Amino acid sequence: MAANEKNSGGIVNWFDTRFPVTDLLERHLSKYPAPTNLNFWYLFGFLMIVVLAMQILTGLWLMMNYTNTAEEAFSSVEYIMRDVEYGWLLRYMHAAGASAFFALIYLHMFRGMMYGSYRKPRELIWVGGWVTYVLLCAEGFTGYVLPWGQMSFWAAQVIISLLGSIPIIGEDLATWVRGDYLISGITLSRLFAFHVVLLPIMIIAVVFFHILALHEIGSNNPDGIDIKKYVDKDGVPLDSKPFYPYDITHDIYALGVFLLIFCSVVFFFPEGGGYVLEYVNFEPANPLSTPAHIVPSWYFTPFYAMLRAVDFSLFGFTAKFLGFVTMAAGIAIFAALPWLDRSPVKSIRYKGILSKAFLTGFVVSFFVLGYLGAVPPSDLKNLLAKVFTVVYFSYFLLMPIYTRLEKCKPVPERAPEH
Amino acid sequence: MKLLFLVLFFSSLSFSAEGDFNCGTIECDSFSADTTDLASLQSGLTTYMNNCYGCHSLKYSRYNRVAKDLKIPLEIYQENLIFDGSKPGELMNISLNEKDAIEWIGAKPPDLTLEARIRKPEWIYTYLRTYYPDSSRPYGVNNKVYQNVSMPNVLEDLQLNLSSAEFDKVIYDLTNFLVYVADPSANERKRMGVYVLLFLLLFTSFAYLTYREFKKELKQK
Repeated sequence: MAANEKNSGGIVNWFDTRFPVTDLLERHLSKYPAPTNLNFWYLFGFLMIVVLAMQILTGLWLMMNYTNTAEEAFSSVEYIMRDVEYGWLLRYMHAAGASAFFALIYLHMFRGMMYGSYRKPRELIWVGGWVTYVLLCAEGFTGYVLPWGQMSFWAAQVIISLLGSIPIIGEDLATWVRGDYLISGITLSRLFAFHVVLLPIMIIAVVFFHILALHEIGSNNPDGIDIKKYVDKDGVPLDSKPFYPYDITHDIYALGVFLLIFCSVVFFFPEGGGYVLEYVNFEPANPLSTPAHIVPSWYFTPFYAMLRAVDFSLFGFTAKFLGFVTMAAGIAIFAALPWLDRSPVKSIRYKGILSKAFLTGFVVSFFVLGYLGAVPPSDLKNLLAKVFTVVYFSYFLLMPIYTRLEKCKPVPERAPEH
Repeated sequence: MKLLFLVLFFSSLSFSAEGDFNCGTIECDSFSADTTDLASLQSGLTTYMNNCYGCHSLKYSRYNRVAKDLKIPLEIYQENLIFDGSKPGELMNISLNEKDAIEWIGAKPPDLTLEARIRKPEWIYTYLRTYYPDSSRPYGVNNKVYQNVSMPNVLEDLQLNLSSAEFDKVIYDLTNFLVYVADPSANERKRMGVYVLLFLLLFTSFAYLTYREFKKELKQK
């Protein structure tokens, strides 16, 4: 390493000859070549790293004061809110942080779907990101149970009872997961252990993999062009800019805007209209009284609507089991995208009318299902849920057909001027 | 595409997760809390301790925290508002046990520390003002908001002896106090929030200017 022999500073040099500090920092941060045509949609990954760090820190301090027993959990949360110095701030930040994390990951995933970021050679980056999303769902669910309010208890009851719908082994599996015949303090304790130890470790590990893989392959861009085709004499892509200072200044500006929105929620609307903290959850868990409407957090409502949309049994399987399978498939199917897309181009900018129509259909169905999953069901709403579940899946399942049928626009060789 | 996405995003936010908060058989009266009005909170606390606290605990809150937030000197507070010899640092718990409560009233009166967050203040405000005579009920009263409620009209004396406006004010103060006690850090939170947002505005402005400079530099390259 030529840079090391320049002897620029004793300490850095000492480390560099033993561990490639400078090289790592340059490759992953300061000199990482970011495409020149990146736009607004490329900010959410960075913001998620910030939110992840914030969740870990606030979570650590919450954990210092939280009690994971059925008797004490609810009052320990109120103890944090009232008696712990700035405990309310920790709790509101952590709750709003969970919602922010999901909002950001949905935007981040949508970016990948628009610009074909899952296409070769980034299949593993996409699948790694999808694993993060699945882990995040588990983290969100387990965390939601911990305050041990009414909705915590009944959401856990509904979700874990879904396992009971699996033929033959279902009921035994649900009992094994609960550790009890009903949701109880035993269930709470194990969900707590998952929430604070197992899942965060897994999330950090997978995110590390996701970023490492990205930095090896390089970022995609809104035009879906390969910037590594044209490089200068040092091997740096011509259509790239170093992360420092050109990209980091954009990211920090975005961080400011994000924090303005985030802190407005934390300081002025901590309940987020019942979306960040649900009103019913301010009532302690009561196994004897079922709330009128059991609603999951907003970030799960599209999938909850799919679960409820399947209200018919088929081939000897119960409606509940089929709904559960549909819901799980709705989450799992994202992982298959790299192999479903057969288009000659990556980005929606150069894809044909069919891809645009199906992607729009997907976005509309995601929002409509999200709404339907949050409101009490009715006949009309159930019919709508069925229709939009079909629209949702058609985006994925018909992709191998429509991406081959449509006429695409030619992709430029170099990034357009911005 | 982008526009459609944004329109859908914001229109989906306007749907309330809980549906509309109507008040039983009637529409809720409007209620706007003001937890900076200390006189109102003090009056609400007094009404609460004298009329509600016998049955409804505030078990997540502490006596001295309320005294501090409502700026009531501890000695006066202890003399006038703590009836069972509790120490000021204790939680506001009551001695009514569940068995007796069920025998006497038919149900255990709920703890009300978080009631204003569960029910919404306008519900409480409307509920306490809509008791009416109904001889078919054990206590001879019923309620427009909470049909067949087991709680008697505890505030009947006040309702009879005060003018309607005066009584509304008593209930306003009581509800305002319940809003305070459900989220006692709200005033401090909002005060801090202003400074946090001002700082972030400044930070974001400079971050934007920096971003703009480097964007210009990149274009010239």
